[in-house]
Amino acid sequence: MVGGMAVRIKKRKNPLARRIMRELAGDWKKYLVVSLFLILTIGFVSGMYVANGSMEASAYSGRTLYRLEDGHFELKTAADEDLITAIESGEKVPVTVYQNFYKNETEDRGNDGISDGTVRVYAANEDVNLACLMDGRFPKEQNEIAIDRMHADNAGIRTGDTITVGGQVYEVVGLLSYVNYYTLHEKSTDFMFDAIQFDVAMVTKEGFARLGSSPHYCYAWTYVEEPADEKEEKQFSDDFLEALFMQTLMAGNGMMDYMPAYANPAIHFATDDMGSDKAMGSVLLDILIVIIAFIFAVTISNTIVREASVVGTLRASGYRRGELVLHYLSMPVIVTLVSAALGNLLGYTVFKSVVVSMYYNSYSLPVYRTVWNSEAFFKTTLIPMALMLVVNLAVIVKMMSHTPLQFLRHDLKKTKRKRAVRLPQWKFLTRFRLRVILQNLPNYVILFAGILFIATMLSMAVGMPDTLNFYKENAQDMMFSKYQYVLKSCKDENGNAIATENTDAEAFALTALMRKGGAIDEEVSVYGISRDSHYVTIDRLDALEEQEVWVSSSFAEKYGLSAGSIVTLDEKYENRNYQFEVAGIYDGYMGIAVFMPMRNYRSIFDLPEGEYSGYLSDTEITDIDEEHIATVITERDITKMCDQLDHSMGNYMSYFQILCILLSAALIYLLTKIMIEKNENAISMVKILGYENREVAGLYLFSTTIVVIFIDAVSTFLGALVMSQAWKTIMAGFNGWFPFRIAPAGYGKIFAFILIGYLIVMILDFKRIKKIPMDEALKNVE
Amino acid sequence: MSEEDRKFLEIVDLKKGFGSGDTRQEVLRGIDFSVAKGEFCVLLGPSGSGKSTLLNIIGGIDGADSGYISINGDRLSNMDEKKLTWYRRRHLGYVFQMYHLIGNLNVEENIETGAYLSGSPLDMEELLCTLGLYEHRHKLPNQLSGGQQQRVSIGRAIVKNPDILLCDEPTGALDYSTSKEILKLIEDVNRKYGNTVIMVTHNEAIRNMADHVVKLRDGRIRHNDRNEHKISAAELEW
Repeated sequence: MVGGMAVRIKKRKNPLARRIMRELAGDWKKYLVVSLFLILTIGFVSGMYVANGSMEASAYSGRTLYRLEDGHFELKTAADEDLITAIESGEKVPVTVYQNFYKNETEDRGNDGISDGTVRVYAANEDVNLACLMDGRFPKEQNEIAIDRMHADNAGIRTGDTITVGGQVYEVVGLLSYVNYYTLHEKSTDFMFDAIQFDVAMVTKEGFARLGSSPHYCYAWTYVEEPADEKEEKQFSDDFLEALFMQTLMAGNGMMDYMPAYANPAIHFATDDMGSDKAMGSVLLDILIVIIAFIFAVTISNTIVREASVVGTLRASGYRRGELVLHYLSMPVIVTLVSAALGNLLGYTVFKSVVVSMYYNSYSLPVYRTVWNSEAFFKTTLIPMALMLVVNLAVIVKMMSHTPLQFLRHDLKKTKRKRAVRLPQWKFLTRFRLRVILQNLPNYVILFAGILFIATMLSMAVGMPDTLNFYKENAQDMMFSKYQYVLKSCKDENGNAIATENTDAEAFALTALMRKGGAIDEEVSVYGISRDSHYVTIDRLDALEEQEVWVSSSFAEKYGLSAGSIVTLDEKYENRNYQFEVAGIYDGYMGIAVFMPMRNYRSIFDLPEGEYSGYLSDTEITDIDEEHIATVITERDITKMCDQLDHSMGNYMSYFQILCILLSAALIYLLTKIMIEKNENAISMVKILGYENREVAGLYLFSTTIVVIFIDAVSTFLGALVMSQAWKTIMAGFNGWFPFRIAPAGYGKIFAFILIGYLIVMILDFKRIKKIPMDEALKNVE
Repeated sequence: MSEEDRKFLEIVDLKKGFGSGDTRQEVLRGIDFSVAKGEFCVLLGPSGSGKSTLLNIIGGIDGADSGYISINGDRLSNMDEKKLTWYRRRHLGYVFQMYHLIGNLNVEENIETGAYLSGSPLDMEELLCTLGLYEHRHKLPNQLSGGQQQRVSIGRAIVKNPDILLCDEPTGALDYSTSKEILKLIEDVNRKYGNTVIMVTHNEAIRNMADHVVKLRDGRIRHNDRNEHKISAAELEW
């Protein structure tokens, strides 16, 4: 080492680190957009995880606290002591049985004599399926009632109000959340819960006696020995069912319903749905982070190209590759880290409350306490950091693989210099614009990925209301008759057939079988249809062989069935299955159903001649005694799902649409900024040549506008396609089928929303082009 | 001066070409010379004579096809990329025709990027005074004249007190008086800190201030002379 005035000093901090804050300050608009993008997304997903985690914790702990059943069954008549003892002793699985009778009554909120829905009333008990009090108090007097908190919110009922239940007036003294009704599923086979027209309530024993309807003889059970896992729980349930079925049969009773807790959507839907929300939120966040990571990578790559001579000098001076990689990597890492910290802060405060209120708007969950969520940290901090690191590291390391000399010579293309693409002899301006497009192709590819992502989101935001509207408007067409009367039995106590004078009525047979082996065990309605039915018009239905059936188009679509496919359906409570060959697809019904001639139906299910389940009718049947009717399926049964979805998600979809416009604007802003920066010298030069700002914008912005319009159009259709495929995957986990639809105007909306985002950016870009000084082209010439 | 010091930098039969087949062009066709420690050596020659290529090979940012360069007995051709980076980091300072300063770092910080690489950098304040930049130390590069920017780049190269200062046309982008100032600065640095300076230029007048002049043409050495009558940079005229 040569002499002079060398002094030994402590290891210095890398002075390049100081660039980072200055870079942030110098380009604050860009980093603000990126950070907001990240903070809001991370914040929302973090809020979702925290809210989910906290509410799941309270929901799961509530199961013990509020003594959740392990399942319930309903008998035709009340079980006597002997039967209960027999059931409890259990041949294979000993259980404790609790009486949990309920009455389904009409609910009249306005006390105007018009029913607004159904309320399932339980008498207060202290043994099983208890409720968490959310507001007010539990009923003490016979004219007091506590109703479901979420239903009360939806119906606008508050404590202190009076409502008429089954013709009796009650004062609402409390709002509650039953542990076995976290979602208000009226029936376990309902596709969607209905917190608008269905309610559960608690009254005193005296209050229960005031109600006139005959009770449902429902019994809840808990296992004496807790099953070790889900598999064992299922085994317990199967064994218990087998014994129960025989015991009730031998006791001369009949089983009307059987529902183990693990299969009860009213218990599991909310927690499962929260889980799927989290999964979806996490995937969306990951996609968004990858897009932002690529935007960063392109920005950094451009910066390295711009600073090639500086990088070359530093490398020639002895800076190691790793030092420079770290330097360029630090910006995306810092921005992601800070955004993740702020996002999580907002996640635990603002967004958690937003998500909680969303869940309380849909589910009847008990009170919760915020708990620390390590998964939120992992998913919203570590994973984004890792994605950001991997994408940027790959790009920066590739850039830094050039030699110092290549940097100094600005020779950063791996491949030999490309020869200019020959363009046809079009007008000069057209060729100029085409050159701009060709030069920016890599940026347009990222723009395409980003816009496709937003178009997919918009497809959901636009398609969901479209789907619900279509579904509601066409509900009637999706049923074969306005009413389906399902009878408890086709004969009365005296053995006489329950008949009607209504000339519209047509007898049909119905049973429910299960399709097993998919994401869920799906209930399939099996219809026996009368010869020459004018409700279910299937060509040559009567000519079908015994194992041949028609299936509803929903069934076919959901499980990919076509003529010739074999469908295996299982008995619900017995170990027996049936195999059918699909003879055709029936388009006039939206449920998951199979159709066969009545004759075949009776033969397959060993039913006597003349046996049927009920009547199809386009007019109300008034001459059958209510006590013989098990249920009436009307249009409301179909539209209630739409109403609930509309209520739970409808408003959010509008916000989501606005969010998507902002997202598209932010994304396009970031990418067009990169493109303009890349062309600053050229823009400055054409200004020197005498082009006006308007003409410069015409050259550079018009090119991007053409590409954006093209990408927008393609993404609109591709996004809808992606969403409809994603929808199929989502629907596989639910009962029923509900095709995703976007109305023709919806495509226009998606296209227009993205374009609106672009138009906002175009104004900013025009300003940016105007600001580029003419000496820019002369300043950086090397 | 010991034999070791006299052959501090030794270049032996160095050859380098670009391209292949018909387009092959030999840029260096067997270069042999040595530079003594602390010497101010000027590489002269017209464009395309191979002087910048030779400087890049000395600087370890380009490789030779054959022959070798040794510095203080260490052959560059035996070094892998990691060692070459280390060699540049420890022993070399680079000054280019363009200044290649970092736009968002001020004068002092730009020089610090060089200091960071050294275990024993020069005293910053004293160096800033030597460079005539002390009062400009908080300015950003775009607030400086071309000459001042070149001073910063010299500062960045010299602050780590390198054994060899490589200058590639350091006055190529400057006017006459600023060029003289820069040459004077390099001369001062050479005298004050004793670094070996190798400067590439096509300005014939600069040979007069050098201890050693190597003139290249078509990849060959045409003259390799010691300058017995060197004058100071201030006395140069062209």
